[in-house]
Amino acid sequence: MLLLALLLIPVATAAASFFVRRRKEMEAANLVGFGLVFLIAIALAAQVLARGTVSLANDFFYADALSALVILLTALVALVCATYSIGYLRDDQQSGELGDDPSGKEQLAQLRMYYTLTPLFVFSMMFMAVANNLGVMWAAIEATTLVSVFLVTFYGKVTSLEAAWKYAVIGGVGLSMALFGTLVAYYAGHQLAGSDALVGLNWSVLAQHAELLDKTSMRLAFVLILMGYGTKAGLAPMHTWKPDAYSEAPVPSAAILSSAMLNCALYGLIRFYILTSRSLGPEYPGRLLLLFGLLSMGISVPFILVQKNYRRLLAYHTIDHAGIMVTALGLGGALGTLGLTLHMTFHTIAKSLLFLCAGNVRQHFKTDLFSEIKGSVIRVMPLTGIVFLMAMLAIIGMPPFSLFQSEFLIMRAAFDGGHLLTGVLFVLFGTGVFAGALLHVGGMILGPRGDTPVAPRRPWRDGSLLTLAATLVIIGFWVPAPLLELIRGAARVVSGQ
Amino acid sequence: MRPFLDMQFGDRIITLMAALVLVLQIAVVAQRWIVTHIRIFAIQSFLLAMIAATIAWFNHAPHIYIAAALTLVVKVILVPIIFERLVVRMDIREEIKPIINVPLSVVISGGLTLLGYVVAESFYKQNEPGLGHNELAVAISLFLIGFFTMINRRKALTQVLALLSLENGLFLAAISLTYGMPLIVELGILFDVLVAAMVLGILVYRIRETFESIDVSRLRRLRG
Repeated sequence: MLLLALLLIPVATAAASFFVRRRKEMEAANLVGFGLVFLIAIALAAQVLARGTVSLANDFFYADALSALVILLTALVALVCATYSIGYLRDDQQSGELGDDPSGKEQLAQLRMYYTLTPLFVFSMMFMAVANNLGVMWAAIEATTLVSVFLVTFYGKVTSLEAAWKYAVIGGVGLSMALFGTLVAYYAGHQLAGSDALVGLNWSVLAQHAELLDKTSMRLAFVLILMGYGTKAGLAPMHTWKPDAYSEAPVPSAAILSSAMLNCALYGLIRFYILTSRSLGPEYPGRLLLLFGLLSMGISVPFILVQKNYRRLLAYHTIDHAGIMVTALGLGGALGTLGLTLHMTFHTIAKSLLFLCAGNVRQHFKTDLFSEIKGSVIRVMPLTGIVFLMAMLAIIGMPPFSLFQSEFLIMRAAFDGGHLLTGVLFVLFGTGVFAGALLHVGGMILGPRGDTPVAPRRPWRDGSLLTLAATLVIIGFWVPAPLLELIRGAARVVSGQ
Repeated sequence: MRPFLDMQFGDRIITLMAALVLVLQIAVVAQRWIVTHIRIFAIQSFLLAMIAATIAWFNHAPHIYIAAALTLVVKVILVPIIFERLVVRMDIREEIKPIINVPLSVVISGGLTLLGYVVAESFYKQNEPGLGHNELAVAISLFLIGFFTMINRRKALTQVLALLSLENGLFLAAISLTYGMPLIVELGILFDVLVAAMVLGILVYRIRETFESIDVSRLRRLRG
């Protein structure tokens, strides 16, 4: 029942936002809808902790600890971003970013598009996380791209069209490879009994009989899936759409794209990793994952060092972190997988927080470039400045923040597992990112005093910033026992131990 | 023996149609007009639907008929209509200028077909029931040539059509490897294809409005 409600509420929210007439009603619909989704996600997590797995409709919908974790994180980001976007879009409307049609009809149409597409976007991510059938999961991931394309073109600028085009085409090519991979995996399982029926492509069935899968086909399937879902996760060298899409989309959408949707793409990859490692042993997929993970981390370093645009800087950070998580998956074992699920949790919170801070800065200073921000952010906008700096320190892995723990765990997994080169490169790239991020963001936030007046209070946006910031700080010191159990459970799903 | 019940005869028909599908894909590489490209795509999709129907007939697998009918509706009728209307609205008459010239492109496509056969060989098992490996080889070749077309052409609409022909290759691979995906998956995929065609169509239209051209090599403002 929970699974069904999880899917129906976002659809109902989208429908409500589409049909109501006033801005306030759309905002309320989104807020209520995502609030309910978040409550259901918590209830689902509790149920999964109690029962192990939850399934519905003859196993068509299926949730284990890994899905519950991804759903919980998605619901959290969606709720915070829904709150944030109320203040953000009102500001955009007043400052004329949405066009200057005097009757206000055009602005309202744009707001309606935003408030309708966002719940649909969340719906497709939820659908992906609860779909047991790998083909249905693919269709849901493709749907996330199709829905979010028009969020990227939201401002209708020349550059946002370019970003959306790259996003749609590169994403489309990547996903067609992922579909090929799914197909080959289906073929790999076609000797299993009952494989002609719908269940033949069910992850739970394939995972149970993983040792019977055709090994040659699984090799090919994993390469195709890695390229396909890797494109969606923005792994190098298929990452080029990412900085463009993140810097052109409205900030709350970019926050969802860079945290929740990244988790979804990784989720698809993880599901196939589990099948492949059970069928062929962990070495084969592990080596490929390490290659792509380290490459993504390595490529992001120079771009972070020379970056002039802070939203693109954050996008390259996401590429770096996608690389970190894929590396953790490649290392595997109990430590690596725990590092992966912990990092996924911490990164989701920290990265969405960073984007929301960047949104505040962008709306006040009207620029995306470091060089044009005159006057230190921390003086003009004290709260945003402090939170921004804190989140930045967290994301580059400074202790005592939580990402330090997960990255340390991944590093330990590398050295314990005898992956010396991986460990060394991990530290090296981490240092590069560290230097680049501090250099730029530190200068922007703590820079010399300018004459920009102090910004007014922004209740919607500051409230959502503070909620996320408090969460980030608290889980750095104390992860609530049920959440920790969920994270450990998800890691056990991945490692199979 | 009546030919319409004989499996061998069915195999031969299917192989013939698969060969035509491949020829059409190479024809796309060789021709230079967008409208022609759309029509070739429609004919290719029609042949795929026929292949699916033939397989359904000879293997007594009624669920493949539904997949064939859906393909017919979506890829032979809806998508070409959407794109032809787009072409009329945007008034595109210009030729598509490929990056690599036509004769060389055709030679490269031939090489990619060869590669398709090599890859398909590893799937082929002598003693297993199923279609010949010709169909799989054609499917992989369609996929590779589709990739090549996307890289080689700069017009936005051509790239979209090439992306859709990648999907055609996948459809052929699906029916030749496993007699199609489960129906609900097939439905999901076709729905996504239809929505993708519309989304990309709208994007192409807006790019045309903004840049006065659909040459995607002009989209180069976002760097670094």
